[in-house]
Amino acid sequence: MGRRFNRLMAAVYTRIPGINEMYVKLSGKKWQDRVEQPQLALPSQLSSVRVGLLTSAGVHLTSQRPFDMHNPEGDATVRVIPGDVSMDDITITHDYYDHAAADIDVNCVFPIERLRELAQKSMIRDVAPRHVGFMGHIFGRQQDELVNHTAGQVADMFLSDGVGAVLASPG
Amino acid sequence: MGLVARAVEHVGIPTVTVSVVPSATDAFPAPRNLVVRFRLGQVFGEPRARDQQHAVVMDALQALHRITEPGGRIDSPYRWKREEYPPFEP
Repeated sequence: MGRRFNRLMAAVYTRIPGINEMYVKLSGKKWQDRVEQPQLALPSQLSSVRVGLLTSAGVHLTSQRPFDMHNPEGDATVRVIPGDVSMDDITITHDYYDHAAADIDVNCVFPIERLRELAQKSMIRDVAPRHVGFMGHIFGRQQDELVNHTAGQVADMFLSDGVGAVLASPG
Repeated sequence: MGLVARAVEHVGIPTVTVSVVPSATDAFPAPRNLVVRFRLGQVFGEPRARDQQHAVVMDALQALHRITEPGGRIDSPYRWKREEYPPFEP
């Protein structure tokens, strides 16, 4: 199906949240390994934590290659976004939700300016030097690639940057 | 999203994942989950609604402490526009 159809569907289910709820419930899918969730490390006080952003909203720099919207399995690659990025240098490529609001203000899905303000007030230690954008709607081999390779690379990058907590969000 | 968040937790970095689809959070829980009754594409609030966005960001960050069991979930009380969000003074 074409990108125009995907965008049309995205506009519908973005406006009617119940469709998403129904889709998940009818699909009957769920993770079976809930009990094997990682142990939770207790974070320090927020004021001593460096915070990173991880978003599946399709956020990337205008200078970076857009996510592949032609592969029906999605695109398991990620884009690294500098912490000091200018708002004018950010864009969104994602046909599977309506990002008209986030095109006006990317903080709707990638609250980098809000984090900067928290850092200025010392409510968090600082903003991570690198953040990560990827796209949701990933299936099949692309999901395998995401889980087996990309996710670990993302984790290692945050670790090497001394990130103390990650705020993750969808589109 | 939860798959990547799990990988980040595996290297020892706490994560909190914001969601706007509660059934998806229940079926595919991330290590810590904040459910917000907002629209897709406006997970942290409306464009240029700084107070609203700050409220959600802070609730998410505070959930790092509040959620004490793996896969735990907190539901945000916010009702989109029908809400008085505390003003954020920079």
